[in-house]
Amino acid sequence: AQADTWRYAFEEALDEVQGVFAQKFKEEIEANSDHEIQLFPYGTLGESADIMEQAQAGILQFVNQSPGFTGALIPEAQVFFVPYLLPQDPEELNSFFRNSVAINEMFPELYAEQGLELLTMYPEGEVAITTKAPMRSPEDLNEVKIRVMTNPLLVESYRAFGATPTPLPWGEVYGGLQTNLIQGQENPAFFIESTRMYEVTDHITFAGHNNFTTALMANKDFFDGLSEEDQELIRAATEAAFDHILDYQEGLTEASLDAIRAARPEVTITWLSEEERAPFEASAESVEATFIEMTGSRGQEILDQMKADLAAAAEG
Amino acid sequence: MTATILGIMVVLLLLGFPMMIPLIAATGVGFYWLFGSLDQLETMVQQMMAGIRPASLIAVPMFIFAADIMTRGQSAGRLIDLVMSLVGHRRGGLAISTAAACTMFGAVSGSTQATVVAIGSPLRPRMLKAGYKDSFVLALIVNASDIAFLIPPSIGMIIYGVVSGTSIAELFIAGIGPGLLILFLFSIYCWIYAVRNNVAPEPRMGWGARARALQRALWPLGFPAIIIGGIYGGVFSPTEAASACVLYALVLEMVVFRSLDLRGLVATARSTGLVTAVVFILVAAGAAFSWVISFAQIPQEVLASIGIDQMGPTAVLFVIAAAFFIGCMFVDPIVVILVLVPVFAPVVRASGLDPVLVGTLITLQVAIGSATPPFGCDIFTAIAVFRRPYAEVIRGTPPFILILLAVSVALIQFPQIALFLRDLAFG
Amino acid sequence: MSETSEAARPPSALPGIFGLIDGAIARIEAFFLAAGVLLMALNVVANVVGRFAFGRSIQSAEEINRILIILITFAGLSYAARQGRHIRMSAFYDRLPQRGRKIMMIFISLVTAAIMFALSRYALQYMLTQQGRGRVLPSLQIPVWLMLIWVPVGFFMAGLQYALTALRNLTAPGVHLSTSLAEAQLPDPALNRGEPAP
Ligand code: NA
Ligand code: NA
Repeated sequence: AQADTWRYAFEEALDEVQGVFAQKFKEEIEANSDHEIQLFPYGTLGESADIMEQAQAGILQFVNQSPGFTGALIPEAQVFFVPYLLPQDPEELNSFFRNSVAINEMFPELYAEQGLELLTMYPEGEVAITTKAPMRSPEDLNEVKIRVMTNPLLVESYRAFGATPTPLPWGEVYGGLQTNLIQGQENPAFFIESTRMYEVTDHITFAGHNNFTTALMANKDFFDGLSEEDQELIRAATEAAFDHILDYQEGLTEASLDAIRAARPEVTITWLSEEERAPFEASAESVEATFIEMTGSRGQEILDQMKADLAAAAEG
Repeated sequence: MTATILGIMVVLLLLGFPMMIPLIAATGVGFYWLFGSLDQLETMVQQMMAGIRPASLIAVPMFIFAADIMTRGQSAGRLIDLVMSLVGHRRGGLAISTAAACTMFGAVSGSTQATVVAIGSPLRPRMLKAGYKDSFVLALIVNASDIAFLIPPSIGMIIYGVVSGTSIAELFIAGIGPGLLILFLFSIYCWIYAVRNNVAPEPRMGWGARARALQRALWPLGFPAIIIGGIYGGVFSPTEAASACVLYALVLEMVVFRSLDLRGLVATARSTGLVTAVVFILVAAGAAFSWVISFAQIPQEVLASIGIDQMGPTAVLFVIAAAFFIGCMFVDPIVVILVLVPVFAPVVRASGLDPVLVGTLITLQVAIGSATPPFGCDIFTAIAVFRRPYAEVIRGTPPFILILLAVSVALIQFPQIALFLRDLAFG
Repeated sequence: MSETSEAARPPSALPGIFGLIDGAIARIEAFFLAAGVLLMALNVVANVVGRFAFGRSIQSAEEINRILIILITFAGLSYAARQGRHIRMSAFYDRLPQRGRKIMMIFISLVTAAIMFALSRYALQYMLTQQGRGRVLPSLQIPVWLMLIWVPVGFFMAGLQYALTALRNLTAPGVHLSTSLAEAQLPDPALNRGEPAP
């Protein structure tokens, strides 16, 4: 076969989860073919929306974009922002991602409408909330400004949690926390560690409300135009990277938290108990309602299917 | 290819084309070379849009607007009268105050372009009146604004910290040493300039006159209070401080001093818009240009060709300094950091360099590059705001650039300039 | 930068009906430029006041600013071309004799016009692609392509200004830096920004 150069852009740095996934994918492709993969980490070709458009235009062959950012294109993908939908148990979560009908059958159709071949969706880690004061109940979040991405569902979630959601560009978050403009933010543990959020917030709380999900896709025309053999190569590389990232994540949160503890021992790390989570969990309903309002019957279908898939995963 | 693109840019530039054209033409050639046709030029438009998208850019037109209102009205004049009453009798006093004001304002606003406007607009006429040459004044404003990158909060350092995984708190502290050193050296140069060019100091003012100046400046002193107190006090983000300044300027000039009417306001808004557009179209074109460079993996190629893997730590630092310095001569600093930091990451790791030192050096280069011809953003801003020709704006820059480069070399040879405070705080 | 003198100057140097149309366009550009800045100020000020007085930020503030910054940049693109305000490095150009400068200015204007027209075409294509994708701004729920309308228009109008500058240099005596700025009219260096308008 002819040796091609394929370009692959993602939303994080090379040593963060998406970067680790991308490197494994590259390694697999290059080990099993003459093709070359060029990796473009965060910011080098633009922001999330830009690299998505470049993938749609066929300039990039592969793009990793989190469904939450895909909201403008595929509103249904925002379902991953509905709190307390995904399970916290890693095995249950992995089984869900492997077997979900919503992920493996319904979403690919929605992505195809946008000229994208959805190759896989994978978890990046449980989202933790970092704050300046301890938080154990919605009352603790009263008047607390939590930075969220500009997304209606996230805003609704934090409002339901009792906080004051404050959409702020990522570049202003560190400074904003330092100057007390905001008092909290949310991200997976590895990201809290790599972006040094623990330097400017003192309490890391796992409320179990979400696991950050992301997705790898290819330009559909490019993918459909490939030989059977190359398509198989890409699927196999995706599979290998998926397995690798699940292994990699085992203990990633713990390792990140250890690094944080070592760097700044006074930071507290808390997992809320079932009882403490209950009032937060109760708020999920209003966010679901917002999601349905935004996405209509198609959103309802996806949500129902995901719940069914999750029930199946829970039964294992 | 790299040579062709650079050649086109330089030729078009020297012929006297509007500056956006060399950037756009070079980008177009890059697209043609990458994709064999111009069909993908849509992505160039996309990247131009991306260039003017960052939310932090909004602070620029807002500070321009506030400064424009203040200078048309009375606030700026009253503030400067106060400064003059305190330091006007010292040789180079006004110039040194300007440098200090640029540092202070830039530090908190986080934007060198906003600083050029906000401090430059009111102070430049006064410096000219005092007898400083315009080329010196323009160069001083443009270069002193750059110190902003080094004094926290620094957007450049935040981006570097995030991309490279370096402690932002440590970076912030490490920037202070070199920042103050530059301010100190600039002040010395201001003094030498004033002595050599015989810029006459004003007569010393009595305490009564100073008290009167202070009283007249009481209201306008709200501006530094909003900017410095507001941001360090955690009340405002830099963008919000800009908005608060606009609001305060409007209230002061339209209601309290009654020096601006509605017609004047509209005219001010139009001139702010014009200046913003002239600068932002270049920011947009620069973003598209950097996309091509990044997509074609030109930095990787260049680094490989000079054999960076075989170099020692000091040589690596010099290469990094040169790369960021050159990059920022053409493209917006934030974009340069995003594109080049990952490219250098493996080399930095392998050479065992302190990432905080690297970050400080990079920030310093970014600052210098922004004020360096041909495409330094601050130069564009100065041209657009002060309506002086390009050649005039850059004529006085060499001594300043020389000082900045000397500090860079000093930083590479004596990392303690940056790391001393960091080690004190975190050691 | 005093603009009172601009208002006093005839809005267009073109003859007859073209002059009328051109003058009207100039007014529209100037209006959008001022309106863009004022709206942006209103938006950011309201956002700050909202946050302090009511503890709530305007959710769509950032998106409104994005729309306005595009408006300002591209309405300003052609307005600045008309005023001859785009930044250029004229050190070598300035050394040419008058005839050389005139020829050079015709060449520069024509090439710049061609590039602006080409960009206008690709910007239009980009806008239509966005329209086809149906993307919306997440918070305002406005289609993304709507905020891009100014981009092809701005490039086209700027192209037109540069083409007219070439035409003006070809038909009228003297060197013209833009349709409304001849070399002799260059702003007086003594007229500094910040001094009260005459
Ligand atoms: Na700063
Ligand atoms: Na620059």
